[in-house]
Amino acid sequence: MECIITIELGTNAVRVFAFDMNGHVIGSLKGYYPTFHTEPDYSEQDPEQIFITMLYVLKNLLNERIHPKKYKVACICFSAAMHSVLAVDKNGNPLGNAITWADNRAKKEAQELNNSPLGDTIYTATGTPIHPMSPLLKICWIKNSDKERFRLTSKFISIKTYIIQQLTGEYFTDYSIASATGLLNIHKVQWEPDALAYAGITADRLAEPAPVFTTTGKLKKAYQNSLGLSPDTKIIIGSSDGCMATLGDGVKGEGKASITIEDSGAVRVMGDKVLQDKQRRFFNYLLTEDCYVSGGPTNNGGIIFEWFTRQFGFFRDPFDIEHSMQELMAEAAKVPVGSDGLLFLPYLLGERAPIWNANARGMYFGLNIKHERNHFVRATIEGILYEIYSIGKTLEEHRDIKSISINGSFGTIPFCTQMLADIFNKPVRLRRNFHSVSYGAYLISATAMGIYKSLDDAARTVELPDVYRPQKQNHTVYAAYFNIFERLSTQLSDAFEAIVNLQQLKA
Amino acid sequence: MFPHILELGIRKNVSIQLNAFTLSATEGLRIYHIIDGKFEWRINQRQYVFYPGDVAVILPGQEFGSENGVLEIGSFSWIHISIQKKNNGEIVLGKWSGLSESESLAIGKILLLNNSPALVKFNEAGKIFKCIQSEITGQEIGYVTRVNHQIDELLIQLTRQLTRQVNPGRDFPKTFMNLEQALRQNLAHQWTVEEMAALVGLGTTLFTERVKSYSGFSPINYLINIRISEAIKLLKRPDISVTDIALDTGFYSSQHFSTTFKKLTGYRPSEFRKIHLRNK
Repeated sequence: MECIITIELGTNAVRVFAFDMNGHVIGSLKGYYPTFHTEPDYSEQDPEQIFITMLYVLKNLLNERIHPKKYKVACICFSAAMHSVLAVDKNGNPLGNAITWADNRAKKEAQELNNSPLGDTIYTATGTPIHPMSPLLKICWIKNSDKERFRLTSKFISIKTYIIQQLTGEYFTDYSIASATGLLNIHKVQWEPDALAYAGITADRLAEPAPVFTTTGKLKKAYQNSLGLSPDTKIIIGSSDGCMATLGDGVKGEGKASITIEDSGAVRVMGDKVLQDKQRRFFNYLLTEDCYVSGGPTNNGGIIFEWFTRQFGFFRDPFDIEHSMQELMAEAAKVPVGSDGLLFLPYLLGERAPIWNANARGMYFGLNIKHERNHFVRATIEGILYEIYSIGKTLEEHRDIKSISINGSFGTIPFCTQMLADIFNKPVRLRRNFHSVSYGAYLISATAMGIYKSLDDAARTVELPDVYRPQKQNHTVYAAYFNIFERLSTQLSDAFEAIVNLQQLKA
Repeated sequence: MFPHILELGIRKNVSIQLNAFTLSATEGLRIYHIIDGKFEWRINQRQYVFYPGDVAVILPGQEFGSENGVLEIGSFSWIHISIQKKNNGEIVLGKWSGLSESESLAIGKILLLNNSPALVKFNEAGKIFKCIQSEITGQEIGYVTRVNHQIDELLIQLTRQLTRQVNPGRDFPKTFMNLEQALRQNLAHQWTVEEMAALVGLGTTLFTERVKSYSGFSPINYLINIRISEAIKLLKRPDISVTDIALDTGFYSSQHFSTTFKKLTGYRPSEFRKIHLRNK
């Protein structure tokens, strides 16, 4: 019996899944790795710890679930968070930690490029918003502020490129991850000369971009031995977590959108055309040469409800956040739709799409003397989902969205899923039990191995059995409040800036 | 009778006194409990404000007193306990203590790693001081044992309060980050699960459960993860011997290091080093 292993190098953890050839899950394990914030805007991870954690988890899964049942691993396929940058020297050894997507040190670089006409050219060519998350701007930061590292760097790679290089000795970056660097021309699928020049590098200092189906050279002998894998185990480079989640939900073709809400979130559509947006509110990333995953990201997903729970939850047992969150959700359910007019702006971490305002901050609005504790709970959840809707609504200016799929730990909580269906006034579908990202990786592997003729065929087989249907009367209430939510989000921009100035003064 | 009790006292200060509370450092562990008033004290070069019910903990060798020697109006009680500091920096209690060796080591470790000497609202300390005081004055049968028990009790309560104050039981990601930092700063130490759990302020069972569900690893396996990751970084630098790397990252011996490393990576440490430095 053969099986397919998928490895997701996520924001906080590696998740390893094993699938049989029909796409049924055989087993899965995760392993956490830390993010270091040594300076206020910094967000870094240790590539060696990610590598070791990945090996450890993979080995445990193989030893517990795969080898005892005599499965033969046909291939291993990778997915990873976007926008990471790791500088390596001529021996391939890391020069410091990897800089993650959440790192904001390139604020100044982003502002400069945003205000220059080149910003438009580069955004249009590369599909990556001009934002500190963009590897283009992180490389600029290293060039400007860490000259020694810039000089010693032989290549600027992603975390996934590093992990695959450790396993096989070869440098590859897939089209999806490459298209999220701000350096790849997504129309021509080659490095964009304007962007390279702006970063001050030549193409040989990046890894070679390759289609997501690409098989690398063999696993190194030492890892074949320690993992108990045969030399003909294929290593498939795979895609990014965002593209995988969208594919895993079967969002190919017209009328579909996919929403992810974990700590942060995103709304995505997939198609053969780039979304052209004058206000530069969307990303356009590549899944394949003729397939774009477009949409908008938010900073303020489930992490905001976790924050709320930590402040106001009951915590009957120490650190029992899951249970405390469930209790709060139950409280929220008792409050009428629309929280009797209490509105919440969830921008505690600043916001990306659609307002792209790093200075945005949170707010409870409309508070009156009849509001009680429970209203705050419900308003908080509604606010988080209004933000998701505001991305979806801007996407609808470009695409017709008929049905939605939802994935991620926060979005798939039934109370939230139903609320999404009501707010969007569209049916929302989901699958239980496993991760859309890993399923996307399975679909890519199965297509690479010839089980499906194309990704379209593969995506068509996706079944999302659970459907939440919208309730019209709820939608009417939400729509009225959303109108105020939207107005507040844009009209407060002066006040946001003023309060941030004061907050930064104090810090 | 109590050579380990260096001082035990209570003071009621009715008027502001100049040059009455100057900065000094001593060998003992000093614990002060505020009964009433408000005191601005300096501990280890940092300023703290204490209100009734608060407790100040001053480690051996740390400077403590009032910035300009002023003693404010109010009252407080205190105890100074003699403890031994071993060459490796570990704190151990004397023979008088009924705590087991590992418990006493863990308490010492937490006191050392804790960087906030101010405990908010810790009135248990005041009660224990009173009890010690009355046992010593009364000298009833069994008082020696009771006094020593009370000091053990004080240290246990103090440690629990410290860890709870740092980890209020709500933010596991942050708590785990603090733990991870403590482990990294002291990677050569032979950490036990009891020590790690005490640092977080949980019992070992609940601690192991929480770590496993958050990280996917048992506490010890997570620690091995950090050890190997750090070892890899050191192996990629030519200037440290493999034996030193093994000990610095907390393995018992280079043999133990080599076995663990090979099991996970497929390489012996020396092989791994050779491959990654080949172009130099």
